[in-house]
Amino acid sequence: MFDWLGYDFMQRALVATTVLSFSIAPVGAFLVLRRLSLAGEAMAHAIVPGIVIAFVAFGLSVVSMITGGMIAGILVALGTSILARRTLIREDASLASLYLIALALGIFILSAAGSAIPLKSFLFGSALGIGNDTLMLIGVTATITLIAFALMLRSLIAASFDPIFFESQSKKPGLVQQVFMFLLVLNLLAAFKSLGTLMAVGLMILPATAARYWVSTITSYMMLTLGFALLSCWIGLILSFYLSQVPTGPAIVLVAGCIFFISVFFAPLGILRGKVIQK
Amino acid sequence: MLELHEIALGYQGKTLVDNLSFSLEKGQICAVIGHNGAGKSTLVRTLLGLQPPLSGQINWYDGRPHGTKRQLAYLGQSADLDSQFPMRVKDAVAMGAWQGLGFWASLDRSKADRIDYALTRTGLTEMADRPLYECSSGQLQRCFFARAIVQDAPMILLDEPFSAIDQTTETRLIEIIREWRNEGRALLIVLHDLSAVMGISDTCLLLGGGQASYGKTEDIITTENLLTHHYLTETQAEWLSLLRQKGAHDV
Repeated sequence: MFDWLGYDFMQRALVATTVLSFSIAPVGAFLVLRRLSLAGEAMAHAIVPGIVIAFVAFGLSVVSMITGGMIAGILVALGTSILARRTLIREDASLASLYLIALALGIFILSAAGSAIPLKSFLFGSALGIGNDTLMLIGVTATITLIAFALMLRSLIAASFDPIFFESQSKKPGLVQQVFMFLLVLNLLAAFKSLGTLMAVGLMILPATAARYWVSTITSYMMLTLGFALLSCWIGLILSFYLSQVPTGPAIVLVAGCIFFISVFFAPLGILRGKVIQK
Repeated sequence: MLELHEIALGYQGKTLVDNLSFSLEKGQICAVIGHNGAGKSTLVRTLLGLQPPLSGQINWYDGRPHGTKRQLAYLGQSADLDSQFPMRVKDAVAMGAWQGLGFWASLDRSKADRIDYALTRTGLTEMADRPLYECSSGQLQRCFFARAIVQDAPMILLDEPFSAIDQTTETRLIEIIREWRNEGRALLIVLHDLSAVMGISDTCLLLGGGQASYGKTEDIITTENLLTHHYLTETQAEWLSLLRQKGAHDV
């Protein structure tokens, strides 16, 4: 039953996705609470050209790919803000326009440069081929994320629940938003290698949306989000091991998707339990 | 406690209110009224420190140019909030005690007692462990009043506190507002219902038509003023005069 654990690449994948879950789950939980789920998805695509340009220019260097992805993410965020404030289109349309351009640009450059890395690996990840540098990146990302959350958890809760109340009480209300967006991009980059750009945000959002149907306190919500993320990673990895044609990213996200649908129907706040929520 | 001196309010070069001056003292309730777009929300945002005035000066009692945020409790419109947020009623109330706490510090005995008092005062003790999504709009508003009680601030800013609640809840909340005044707190309340303005406020700030009038409530709420500041149409003003002639006071 546990024969898959005898392989070095599976042990690495298990450690990587487990540590990643501890980091990505709280970010996903607050993305959902802050009603930024689609912004997270957009940002996952927005970082692609930066990663690709860094890869084409400097090869498989984790530092350069992070730097490239971070620059691309910041540029798209800035561009979105400028378009929304200075032109007639709103923020959602600005972000949608820019992230689609960014994604297309990234794939175009990757294909035009005749990359040795297959496009599928960029889009869907390769959790079964994780090197030491990626493990290190995930470890550092998880450490930074958990420390940041420990420091600003109360502020994040207040800012997510009642933004104006939080702004009226905080000396630097913008700082929480900026740090949170930084953590979002950092976690997307950390998840990029194992899950790919299309699937990384799936592990972020689906466990968090599924957990909303089960619990009604913030602590239990965050714990359950983590539990669902871990479960998705472990089951997804095993599926990917035994079905060798299935990339790890989609396998993990599909498991998270199954948990989501089970939650929608059978959770205490789900459809079949008869809870009617006023919106 | 708070003094606004020749303030101009607005955004992106558009002036909504010009030459606004008024002061708010301890134990005073000031109602802010005005038509939609008169600048009420801009005034609230300016006092909260979320946007600067276009010109003029705001003096807080402690002498700082933009006040100290710990001295101000804010109670916004519950419609702006996520009522599905995974949080218990008592956690939302406890949020009023978070400011000034360290990153990991837990609430001390006095703060815990104040939370219990706030829940009791607002009649939410039995709801304390219930999730927010089970609250009616009235219970949700009581929850935010409880949070303001926990904040224990000398000045309280309330933005349309009686919208979307029933008469019983409004009466209960008015009792709390009067209690705050008796405790010596200064209150600035944005209202749209003239009967509430007449019923609870000592002074009134009427915004509209790019200008502001401030004074004792009975001096400000006149048909002429309400017309000048575009708060009433000619027809509504005629009705108001008629009602007053017939001796109706709650108008």
